[in-house]
Amino acid sequence: MALAEQPAAQENPLAEGLLLRRSPDPCTLVIFGASGDLAHKKLMPALYALALRRLLPPRFAIVGVARTEGDDDAYRADMRSAVQQHARDPFREDVWEELAASLHYVPTEFDNAGGEDRLHDLLGRLDEERGLGGNRVFYLAVPPPVFSTIVEALGKRRDGRGWTRLIVEKPFGHDLESARALTARLCEYFAEEEIFRIDHYLGKETVQNMLALRFSNGIFEPIWNRQFIDHVQITVAESIGIEGRAGYYENAGAIRDIFQNHLLQLLALTAMEPPIDFTPESVRNEKVKVLRALHTPSPRSVVRGQYGRGFVEGVEVSAYREEAHVAADSMTETYVAAKLYVDNWRWADTPFYVRMGKRLARRETTIAIQFKRAPHSPFEETAAEGLRPNVLLVHVQPDEGVSLAIGAKVPGQGMAIRTVHMDFLYGGAFRTSMPEAYERLVLDTMLGDSTLFTRGDEVEEQWLLVDAIVAAWQRDRPGFPNYAAGTWGPPSADDLMHRDGRSWRRH
Amino acid sequence: MAQALDAPGPVAVEHWQGEDVTLADVSTALARLRAETARDGRPPSLRTSVMTHIAWVPEPWHEKARTALAGMAERHPSRTILLFPDHDSGLDRIDAAVALESYAVPSVERTVCSEVVELRLHGLRAKAPASIVEPLLISDLPVFLRWRGEPPWGAQELDQLVGITDRLIVDSTEWDELPYPYRHLTELFPRAATSDIAWARTSRWRALLASLWPEIANTRTIRVRSTAAQAWLLVGWLRSRLGRDDIVLEHVDAERLEGIDLDGEPAPFPPGDPPLPSDVLSDELERFTSDPIYEAAVTAATE
Repeated sequence: MALAEQPAAQENPLAEGLLLRRSPDPCTLVIFGASGDLAHKKLMPALYALALRRLLPPRFAIVGVARTEGDDDAYRADMRSAVQQHARDPFREDVWEELAASLHYVPTEFDNAGGEDRLHDLLGRLDEERGLGGNRVFYLAVPPPVFSTIVEALGKRRDGRGWTRLIVEKPFGHDLESARALTARLCEYFAEEEIFRIDHYLGKETVQNMLALRFSNGIFEPIWNRQFIDHVQITVAESIGIEGRAGYYENAGAIRDIFQNHLLQLLALTAMEPPIDFTPESVRNEKVKVLRALHTPSPRSVVRGQYGRGFVEGVEVSAYREEAHVAADSMTETYVAAKLYVDNWRWADTPFYVRMGKRLARRETTIAIQFKRAPHSPFEETAAEGLRPNVLLVHVQPDEGVSLAIGAKVPGQGMAIRTVHMDFLYGGAFRTSMPEAYERLVLDTMLGDSTLFTRGDEVEEQWLLVDAIVAAWQRDRPGFPNYAAGTWGPPSADDLMHRDGRSWRRH
Repeated sequence: MAQALDAPGPVAVEHWQGEDVTLADVSTALARLRAETARDGRPPSLRTSVMTHIAWVPEPWHEKARTALAGMAERHPSRTILLFPDHDSGLDRIDAAVALESYAVPSVERTVCSEVVELRLHGLRAKAPASIVEPLLISDLPVFLRWRGEPPWGAQELDQLVGITDRLIVDSTEWDELPYPYRHLTELFPRAATSDIAWARTSRWRALLASLWPEIANTRTIRVRSTAAQAWLLVGWLRSRLGRDDIVLEHVDAERLEGIDLDGEPAPFPPGDPPLPSDVLSDELERFTSDPIYEAAVTAATE
């Protein structure tokens, strides 16, 4: 929650010591793609949660823009139903009525000049009626092909009044070249500081807790390096399939859907050096250094897979190639595992094993820091049979929290040692409901805080690595499908670890 | 402000009680109750305590203290030790009631427990409470002491408990003859960070008054419809922040802070709803350092 000392404390003695919540300036949030899934399932429930907690600016408006026919009343009814269905809080009529009064809708094609005029006129009228000062957040919840059209239309009508911020949903390009082209297009009309590339993983409390864990505890950072850490494992596993998104997924695959953004961001937060402060540039400067230092040692260090038929939670599910609108001979990967290295003083020769995929055995996002074994055991060999190395496990989702695996003596005669877990469960310690990532990120945009957003140079570094991996894939044609739905991926992923004398964490 | 989960309360409560007990009996009972949560092969309740919360509760405050605690254990997993002094019972012993409340952790098949220890201190046992509480403090976690009613200034029990406390929480609304007791409170400031729930309840109004700067700097009279504590703390705050000891207080008694006039002109109402009592206490349990602005306000209120 954004709290700050009153900025004018030196001039106003009464303000000193008052811990005031930072409140965003009056503004209009314009959502392009306002009738889509993201708006229904994430954005409007997030705005409702912010309204419930009185975190939205007192003077505020939301304008939905989409191709679907409709008017303000129909849109409000649609969004009301979305909030009732997807909000994390109980529905409160008074809160909704207040929010709905700020809700407007403009039905238009995105390349329609008449629609642009209507939007422009509405924004001007809202500025005047509500005193919004020309401040705008534009949220592009639309497919990438229409980014350019919208950005140009918005850019050409900028009149220099108020501030403007542009939220761009992934994918940020398809490869390095297209990412650079997209950034160049955006920067024709918007400055880099005005562009907020959203990666909703960074809005998750547990992802931010990685920074708190590392940089607010004196015990971890001294051992957070190659001297004490054997390797790191990052898992982003989903049990669901592509959920009807064949059009997108066939072009993206696991490497563009998850690896290029969420996974590399998790890795960057795990490996980065301590920033000097928690300002956007300090944090992102450190992340980009990690991304620049990343490499994978050889094509053999990257494994791809595609799921075949199998069972998930006892239900037989189709193979990827049997999903609707997926080519029968599709070579799109639904699984990627890789061994990566961060070439710097802290991490040299310490492998980061990462894996992500669809239709895996369960939904789980974890970061496991596996420490080196104790250098010498004074106990008999049998005493510590089965004892595993210490692992610090950060549960990003579900079961948000941190576990530390340690060896402990089994009660009784003699000396037997067994691995036990010390658990810190977020919900157990703080007993507060966790905000959804989009609540934090939308609010941060209104506040102008881009710390949890991806900067253009980070995106480029991420694509550099992905392009190198994809280029190597052009030289072979694996036998897909190569893992059954409901398992932990192809056998070659296990081989990747076994070659190094290691194995994926047991579950 | 931490927002509580909309939880229906504890999913299980294990009890133990005894008369004329030792502290070892209490510790043993706590361990046994916790072990019992793991019966039938279930994993034990997690004990993710964030503090030890001591409350000194003389007779008139028993029910209010229990009411304020309802929901607190759920929000701040902790060991709560309620001390009920009973100097005049004619006995010399400790009676104890121990409860282990287990709360469900969302999305996980685990429970987290809060421990509530009620100790009735008979006779002379009420004179040396620190020695009773010390064995029950959770190591390395902060100790909060909530003192119900007006503390017995200079008394041994107050002196002892403040000595083991990181933060003293009072509610000067519960005190008579204000502002005089504030003089005694200022003597405790060097020893323990102090929170006053009456002060916390003025925070929305202080933010509003701060927004009236710089015009408010020339205020001569502040008329406050509120509890006496809130009125004195607000005028103390204005005097200390503005460096003026000539600001006159006109107090109109009310059960809560209902309005403020500055030189006869009503100040606007602050936005939002006043916080619930449990939210106010909950917020105070999340502060750890002393509040020099409050301390200056208390000092100025007595001048």
